[in-house]
Amino acid sequence: MSTSQDLPGIIQAKLSSGEAAITVHEASLMQGWVRASRILALVEHENECALFIFISSRMPPEVFTDLAIERVIPVDADFKCEIDAGEQSVDVYVNISSRKLKLLFEMIPGLKTNNFVSEIMRSMEALSKRRGPPPEFQWLHKYSGSSNRNSADCVASSLDTSDDDAFKASKTEAEKMLDILDSPDIVVPRQSIAQGATPIAARESVIRHQMSMKEDDYTFTQTLRMFIGTWNVNGLPPSSSLTPWLASDLEPPDIYAIGFQELDLSKEAFLFNDTPREEEWRKAVMAGLHPGGKYRQVALVRLVGMMLILLVEEKHVKHVRNAAFETVGTGIMGKMGNKGGVAIRVEIHNTSICFVNSHLAAHVEEYERRNQDYHDICSRLSFSKFAPVKCIKDHDQIYWLGDLNYRITEVEINTVRDLINQNYFPALIQYDQLHRQRSQNNVFEGYHEGAITFKPTYKYDPGTDDWDSSEKNRAPAWCDRVLWRGDGIEQKEYRSHPILKTSDHKPVSALFDSQVRVIDVVKYRKVHEEVMKKLDKLENEFLPQVTVDNTEIIFDIVRYLEPQSQELIIANTGQVPVQFEFIKKLDDSKCCKEWLNIDPPVSFIMPGEKCDVKLEVFVDKKSAFKLNSGVDKLYDILVLHLEGGKDIFITVTGNYERSCFGSSLEALVHVSVPVREIPIGKLVELETTKEAPGGMEPYPIPKEIWFLVDHLYRHGLKKQNLFLLPGLHSELLAIRNWLDNGSSEPLPGSLHSIAEALLLLLDSTSEPIVPFNLQSVCLGASSNYLQCKQIVVQLPEYRKNVFLYLCFFLQELLSHANENGLDAKTLATVFGGIFLRDSPRPSARANSTVDRKKANFVYHFLVNDLSDYVVSKALHLGPSS
Amino acid sequence: MAKKTYDLLFKLLLIGDSGVGKTSILFRFSDDAFTSTFISTIGIDFKIKTVELRGKKIKLQIWDTAGQERFHTITTSYYRGAMGIMLVYDVTDERSFENIVKWLRNIDEHANEDVEKMILGNKCDIDGKRAVNKDRGEAIAREYGVPFLETSAKANTNIDKAFNDLATAILDKYAGKEPGDAPDRVMVDPRRGDTSRRSCC
Repeated sequence: MSTSQDLPGIIQAKLSSGEAAITVHEASLMQGWVRASRILALVEHENECALFIFISSRMPPEVFTDLAIERVIPVDADFKCEIDAGEQSVDVYVNISSRKLKLLFEMIPGLKTNNFVSEIMRSMEALSKRRGPPPEFQWLHKYSGSSNRNSADCVASSLDTSDDDAFKASKTEAEKMLDILDSPDIVVPRQSIAQGATPIAARESVIRHQMSMKEDDYTFTQTLRMFIGTWNVNGLPPSSSLTPWLASDLEPPDIYAIGFQELDLSKEAFLFNDTPREEEWRKAVMAGLHPGGKYRQVALVRLVGMMLILLVEEKHVKHVRNAAFETVGTGIMGKMGNKGGVAIRVEIHNTSICFVNSHLAAHVEEYERRNQDYHDICSRLSFSKFAPVKCIKDHDQIYWLGDLNYRITEVEINTVRDLINQNYFPALIQYDQLHRQRSQNNVFEGYHEGAITFKPTYKYDPGTDDWDSSEKNRAPAWCDRVLWRGDGIEQKEYRSHPILKTSDHKPVSALFDSQVRVIDVVKYRKVHEEVMKKLDKLENEFLPQVTVDNTEIIFDIVRYLEPQSQELIIANTGQVPVQFEFIKKLDDSKCCKEWLNIDPPVSFIMPGEKCDVKLEVFVDKKSAFKLNSGVDKLYDILVLHLEGGKDIFITVTGNYERSCFGSSLEALVHVSVPVREIPIGKLVELETTKEAPGGMEPYPIPKEIWFLVDHLYRHGLKKQNLFLLPGLHSELLAIRNWLDNGSSEPLPGSLHSIAEALLLLLDSTSEPIVPFNLQSVCLGASSNYLQCKQIVVQLPEYRKNVFLYLCFFLQELLSHANENGLDAKTLATVFGGIFLRDSPRPSARANSTVDRKKANFVYHFLVNDLSDYVVSKALHLGPSS
Repeated sequence: MAKKTYDLLFKLLLIGDSGVGKTSILFRFSDDAFTSTFISTIGIDFKIKTVELRGKKIKLQIWDTAGQERFHTITTSYYRGAMGIMLVYDVTDERSFENIVKWLRNIDEHANEDVEKMILGNKCDIDGKRAVNKDRGEAIAREYGVPFLETSAKANTNIDKAFNDLATAILDKYAGKEPGDAPDRVMVDPRRGDTSRRSCC
């Protein structure tokens, strides 16, 4: 995936004015079982940020019309971004979630990804530090089909009629992807793969993502009764039993979260955070719990006067995991602990719960300061022992209790007391600062509070139920509150306990029936197994698959120098692009025998497409001898390898029609009949034993050479450019047939063809006329005729015969130089390469010096008198039997 | 790209005469399905399946080989690297049973020395045409010290057990060895050190 230089510019062009793309990044969206390319952009508009997810009709996009907006997710209080750091992986997984929407992106690790995620984190931080009303994201409404503000968390794009086709194509693709997500069977549309989607590699992150999507399938809910209590004790020690507060209900709760404020107002407590009150009140709590249950303290946290105790009924303790606590001071200098919050988080079964006890800023007019304290606690309180770090909002359920200190204002104190005396709380709540600030979305967004049906809990003359009678004559207020956030929470009670008179506050409690998700281990295993099975199935289905139309390629009759070809059709019947290659077998140096050529040997096929592979059999001098001598057969098994997948074996067979071409001189002199007439196997035997069948007197030279030379001697001595001009391929084949099959017809073909046939025949023998091992001696002797002569005399008999016979003939040709225009040097060059053929080994590479020496060697024999050589009479040119 | 849903990757191989049911055994194990039409495997194919053994997720990569005689030279080249080999014969085909010895010899010649082996007598659902008694299978298995099971891909008899047993044998052998035997893991730190910036205390 390469990022176009221009990507930010293209994205910017897609946006409206006033919207600025802060950062742009390419990522893969894990959708269901496939991974699809997306472009993510963090877009800012008047201090509000949103994450835009784009689909592009091509990657990378080239113009903004390539892009379609798939989703817009506002960076609001519900927006979460987590990096999956739990696993060492080659890729970075980023979870983006907003309410019910959960998206998993795969990104390539590196600076770009780091920067992108950092920018998202920064925008989330900016949001948490933001003061005043929360962002409304009005500017996103135009990206939303239904502009319902509250449900605009995830704005799905709607089809705009004015948009181009690329948009529609992308949209339908996205829809298909979503279908896959739900379909019980994995059917991944081929075209989506072709459009750049690739199967998800089975990984832990994907499994976790899948498991979290299927949570409902393996969890059931269990209702736990939660008792949440808060009391500002005004620095006083316990003076009476807490039973009337903590055990006022018939049924014992499952969980207690009890918060105190102003536990100790002494300087020591403030400065050294040390107080005997902690233990006094803790004991009082333990003594005051419901007698119907046995409770274990799970955690206790205190910051100066704020203390929070979490107690869990014994039978649930084993299901409580990952308990942690943190404190945040928001008092003097913005950090002292006289104000602030303490929190405990746990996971009970599969539900994460956070309890926050806070004491917010005092004084009637300081409600904004209280809002600020709330936001500070939210942004600064984090449970750092987790990776990624968990904040308050990262929990399924949050219970927020404490002396929030919001007052009743803008109403006469007497009116307040009158309304209280009439128990007419709905009217009074209108003047409650927390009520007002919440309705303006300035604080506690997303939290709920039950209807208040109890008298304000502040401020009383301690020890009485009388309103403050001090000089300050403070107006009554609902300072002490319990709010909650999350699913499956039902408030059963919300009340104060005026019977406890120790403090100038009355204790408050709220009782909840809260549903926690419990993992059914059996079902979990089953779902997990299913997910694994699906991934296995997917992985198997995404293995490269092809069919070949034929795994046994049969060539009927193959003749020397006569190419034949057949086509093999490889069809990609799988879901993924296939790279195929014909690979070599264990000890082979090539993927096929030398008489076979595969074109193309390597290629790439898209799903649904085909590739024609041409298999050509061509027997030339390189392979003919092996076929004639039985060392090799026209039989090969090709291994068609699919990269990352299976291998298919393709058998290639054919019948080679043996020929004098590609035989050895030694074998040919023993054959008195045309090669085709000797029984199959005989030639093989001859090549191995080099002995005449039935005691036949071998010819001094192969009759085939004689036929050709004799014809040229009779008819071609005056032919111009003999051995210099090529013959016709068809005539060469006819000459080959004539030699191999025998015929009463005259030798076919033009003189040039016959001359070339002679050269080809000499060139095709298993060894050249001068054996390979003598070549270097010959080259060394090439300047000295006598030495050359010495070598020739010592050549094996038939080779010497052929050599001299040809030299006689060439001298004869040169004697007609006036007519045929040939010269000794030219012929010496042509025959030098034939008589002194290079070894087929790659080390022996032709070069001009060697060629010149070869020509020199032959030249001696074309210009010197050869009559003193002792040769068989049969080698004399001219009419013979 | 390395895939990480598993703790270990085991490469297994199925060998045996043509037509004994190697492909069917694999198909039953990976797809839990069976088809009675015989399509000769012309090549080497594989499927993957993840199993959980002793609390470890183990990805099995199971290679199915062509059984035809003419491919033997080529298929033996795939033995190396296999951690477990299933030798399959057909209980209704005497010859395929006799060839087990030949297949065992092939393993000795071409496979890793410490490869785990298992002999399967497949098609044990067919009673009428049985040519090789279970005793004989057990006897040869005992002789060569190789575990033995009679299986039926058609009736889904002992298929899961066969693979689980073979994988367990490999697991037991590799247990205690260095984790270097595990599939290669690429160590990349996805900006873990950077996460602290999320909290601004």
